[in-house]
Amino acid sequence: MGERKVTVAAEVGLHARPAATFVQRAMKAPMDITVAKAYGSKPPVNAKSILGILALDVRQGETVVIRAEGEGAEEVLDELAEIAGTP
Amino acid sequence: MTTVLAPVEGAAVGLAAVPDPVFSAGMVGPGTAIDPLRGPGKAVAPIAGKIMKLHPHAYVIVGDDGKGVLVHLGIDTVQLKGKGFQLLAAEGDRVSAGQPVVAWDPAAIEAGGRSPVCPVVALDALSEAVTGVAEGAVHVGDELFQWE
Repeated sequence: MGERKVTVAAEVGLHARPAATFVQRAMKAPMDITVAKAYGSKPPVNAKSILGILALDVRQGETVVIRAEGEGAEEVLDELAEIAGTP
Repeated sequence: MTTVLAPVEGAAVGLAAVPDPVFSAGMVGPGTAIDPLRGPGKAVAPIAGKIMKLHPHAYVIVGDDGKGVLVHLGIDTVQLKGKGFQLLAAEGDRVSAGQPVVAWDPAAIEAGGRSPVCPVVALDALSEAVTGVAEGAVHVGDELFQWE
C-alpha cells in the first residue's frame, strides 16, 4: 500500500478548484484511492468522490494522507500529492 | 429519481455560462446555473435532506439516498468570507426541499465586481444522469432538473 502525506496549500483548502482537479485525476486511475486527514478520527473517504472530498472538509494547512495500491499507484499518488500541495 | 428544485429565482442559463471553468467544464458535476434576480432573496434547499456542508457562499444538501447537491451562491464569493450572507439554517440540520438556507443579495455581489450566477450541481453524477434541465425563467422551488 503506497501513501503520501501532504499539507494542503491552497487558500480555499481542498474545495472548489483544487477539489475538482484532485477528483478528476483520481477518477482516471483504475485502483481504489482514499484520502484521510492525518490527524483526527474522521474515516477515510473515496478520492474519486467530490461529495466525499467536500465532506472531509480539508482546510489550508491541514495534512492529508492519500493511499492507493496496485500498478501505477506510485505515479497516481505523486500527481495527487502535487495537486493537494499546490498553493 | 431525485427532483432538484431551483434554489433561487432567476434565469436558468446552463453551466456553460458560468464564468469559472471548474463549473463550466463540468469538473464538479452536471447540473445547471441560475442567473439570479438582482435584489435581496433567500436561497433554499434544492432537495430534502441533511445540510452536509454550509458555508455562507455555498452549501451541500445530501438526500436520504446519498445524493449530494451543491449550490454555489455567486462565483469567487469565498473571497467575501461570509460578508453579505446570512445563514438561516445550521450545518447538520435536516431540511425540506424549498426550506430557506442562506439570505443574500445578488445585486450586492455584482456591485462588488463578482458574478452572482449560482451553479446547482449534482455531485458525483454522470452527465447523462441529469435530465429535464429547465431553461429560462425559474421561480424559487420550481423544478430545475431530474437526477436519475
